[in-house]
Parts: sequence; structure tokens; C-alpha cells
Amino acid sequence: MNCDDLEKTSSLYLYDELGAEDRAAFETHLASCGGCRTRLEEARRLHRVLSACPRPEPTPELLVRCRQALDEALDREQLGWRGLLRGWMWQFGAAPAPRLAAVLTLLLFGFGLGWTLRPRARSLAPLTPSGTTSPFGASDLGDVRIRHISEVAPDPQSGGVRITLDAERRVTLEGSLDDPRIRQVLVDTVRGYDNPGIRRDTLDALRTHRDNPSVRAALLYALRHDANAGLRLEALKTVRGMQWGPDVHQALLGALEHDANPGVRVAAVDALVEHAVEEGEDETVMPVLLKLAASEQNPYVRLQCLAAVRKMEGNEQ
Amino acid sequence: MVDGACLELVGKHETSREGEAEAERALIRRAQRGDRSAFDTLVRRYDQEVLRMTLRMVRSEEEAQDLYQEVFLKVYRSLGQFRLEARFSTWLYRVVTNVCVDHLRQQKSRSEVPARAGADGELDYARALADDRPGLNPEQALRAREISRRLEVALRQLSPRERMVFELKHCQGMKLRAIGELCGTSEEAAKNSLFRAVQKLRQDLSDLV
Repeated sequence: MNCDDLEKTSSLYLYDELGAEDRAAFETHLASCGGCRTRLEEARRLHRVLSACPRPEPTPELLVRCRQALDEALDREQLGWRGLLRGWMWQFGAAPAPRLAAVLTLLLFGFGLGWTLRPRARSLAPLTPSGTTSPFGASDLGDVRIRHISEVAPDPQSGGVRITLDAERRVTLEGSLDDPRIRQVLVDTVRGYDNPGIRRDTLDALRTHRDNPSVRAALLYALRHDANAGLRLEALKTVRGMQWGPDVHQALLGALEHDANPGVRVAAVDALVEHAVEEGEDETVMPVLLKLAASEQNPYVRLQCLAAVRKMEGNEQ
Repeated sequence: MVDGACLELVGKHETSREGEAEAERALIRRAQRGDRSAFDTLVRRYDQEVLRMTLRMVRSEEEAQDLYQEVFLKVYRSLGQFRLEARFSTWLYRVVTNVCVDHLRQQKSRSEVPARAGADGELDYARALADDRPGLNPEQALRAREISRRLEVALRQLSPRERMVFELKHCQGMKLRAIGELCGTSEEAAKNSLFRAVQKLRQDLSDLV
């Protein structure tokens, strides 16, 4: 080993990347070369400066935000075309290449068939059994989407045809949440609609009427049961602003103890502690916090519970 | 009264290494079949480390969040192609490496300097810096912050590959052979990248040494 090799070798030496033989040769050279020892010392000082810089660590809040955003992105992915294609592929259970070919063939076939058979609503002429035009006039067909045709029965005598079909019509409702019909649609959407984006918008809309009994029940339902953690968190934020009652208390305790998502659990801790500190009630909250601070598996939740216990103990004093 | 031992971060319950590997393969198989909860469990095992890596590469919470999502969406979409005999962590961290390097290349080509200054002029990533050294007096704290700022500027002068190798070596402590594997290059190429990175950093930070 000579002095020209030293610059590169010293970096590897300081990072402990030299093999035993190279390390021995390096140290032997150093023992007899003052110039190289000086340069190594400079490299060591740089190494210390670089090592002394604090390294960014993700905060728990950042991690929770990332997880929530990913959760929602995966929901969209599952509902999108990629998710459907993936589902079909796994159903066929074939190897990747023939599976892909099979799916693409089916898609093209299905698309072609669907295009050929697409319902042409304006060309249908619904008839009553007597052959006269039904009250369901042709002008109504413009915004009707045909979901299923169960029968097409030509009548050779009259030259007409009877079509039995299932149809749906797009309806737009506008108004305030004081209208019970609008409120009911929103409540039903929160409870059962499968699109998380629509459920999120619905939670936003319901916020202004959170203390209405049916809305309150729907929001507590969302906190307990929504499949999407981000939406459970949104529901919790609204629940937090409700008039406090045993139902709210129980729902938040339930979220703290049983929710699958640590972000939701920690938000429940914050809500419960805030209420306990303001109202001076902690008979049911403190035992749960103590239990979780001692034995909770998730370190983030455990630390938050511990901090909450300290806060409440400090408040008592 | 709460036991002070609660403050220690809990580690995973250790089963035999082979048992763990088989459990993970079972999880991956379920996720490959479309089991979303299995995929979520897989994400939870690795996502803190992934977020740490992306944050250290880009030093911005917002960008780290974007890269985190990009990594796991790529994993989700291509999990069907993952061969179970390979190590999942290696495959995952290779995705992280590629995503980070691509991001840095795009940044360099756009000559974009991410707007990171907070309302008080501090670089916002500084909030994420784990500077938990007790007893740091104000002068030392100021110097530490200045060194961090200078280091960040110096790191931006590195090529994406050099920066990735430096971060993985210096901050993550990975061996150069493993780094080469992650970056899709040889150990020798990783060594050269590390050497170039250290040279450039020495030139930029010589007055601090």
C-alpha cells in the first residue's frame, strides 16, 4: 500500500469496510508514514462532523399521516381498474403471461359485445299491454340508465313489443340538512355506501348537524365501523365537537381500546383527556389509560397514553 | 404509578428466524391473493424504516410522504411478481432506493429547490431532526444547526447515486455489498460512489473540520 491509495482506503477504513488483510496493510503503512497519519486524522474529523449532525427521524404524526394517505390511496387502487384486473387475475389462478393474455382478450371481447348491445334508450318505445304508450314517456328515457332487461316480447298481432327492464334514473337533490330527506340520504350513505370518497364528503356535510339524533348516531357508527381508518379519524374529529354524552364517551373509549389504527386511537386519547381535564371527569378514562400505558403493544399508543396519564395527574394536582 | 420501563420502546417478540421468515412468506402469499389486511400488516412491519430512509434522502416531510406512498403503491401493484424465495426486505428497499434516486434525478434536472422554509425561516425538516442530546448549550445548538444546514447544501451537490450510497452507508450503516445490491450495482461501484461523495463533502465542509 502506498500514499496514493490512502485517500480512498481511509474512507473505507473509517467505515469499517476493509477486509482483514487490507486493514493490516493500511495500519502497517500508517505506522511508518506521518503524512498519511495526518490525512487520516483530517478524514476522521470530517467523519465526526458528519456523524454529529442530527439525523431526521420521522415523527409519529408524520407516520400517521403517511399511513392514512396510503390507506386511502389503496382504497382507490382497489376500486380502480387495476384493482379489478388484479382480482380477476387471481380468480383465474393462471400464470402471469397467459393470465394477462386471457384477461385482455376477455376485456376486448366484453367491450366489443357491450358496445354492440349498448342500450339505446331513445329508440325504445315502451308500450302498455294494450299497445298504447305508457305514462313512462319517451322524454323520460333521456336520463334513465337501463341496468337489466329481463324480457323482450314481440307481439306479432300488433307489431309492437313489450320490454321488461330494470332502470335507474339519476336524481340530484339540493337543499339544506334541515330537510329530513336530504339528511336521510346522507345518513344512509355514511352507514353503507361503498365509495370512501363519497363517505368522506358526506361526513363533511353532516358536520353542521352533528347533534341531530340521526346524524349523531350515523357519526358514531362511522367512528366505530367505517372500514377506512382515515374516515374513522374524520368521524372522530366531528364526534369530539358533539355535545358530550354517554354514547360519545363509550364510542371514544371503544376507539381507544379497540381501533385497528394507532392514529385513531391516539386521537381518541386526545379527545378523552381534553374532556376529562375540562370537565374534571376521569373515573372511567384513567383506568384505561393506565392499563394501556403499562401493557399496550404499539409503542406510539403506549407513549401517548403515558403522556396523557401524566397530564391528567398534573391537572389533579 | 407507571413503571419507568414503559419508556423503553418494545421490540418484536422473537421467534426462530426461520419461523419468522415462513410467517412472512405466508403473509405475502395472502397479500398476493388480494388480502388487504395482510398487505396492511406487511406495510406496518417496514413502513417506519421506509419513511426514515425517504426522509433522510429528501429532508422534507412533504416529499418523504409522497415517496412513502409511491413506494408502497409500487409494491402493492407489483407484489404478484415477487418470488417468495427472495427476501422481501431486500426487494422492498430496492424499490425505496429506485424511487428516491429517481426523485432526486428529477429534482436535479428541474433545478428545483423545494420550498422548505417555515414561517420563522427555519428549514422545516429541522423539526424532524432527532437532536435529543441533553445539555446542548445555545452556542452548541446553533453550531449544530449551522452544520446541518451546510451538510444539506453539500448533499445536494452529490449525484443521486452518490447521495443514496452515502445515506445508506453513513446514516443507515449498511454494508457496501448490500448497498450495491440495493442500487443494482456492484460493491466496487458502491465503494467508488462513497469515495466520490466523501471527497465532495470534504471540499464543501473543509472549514468546519
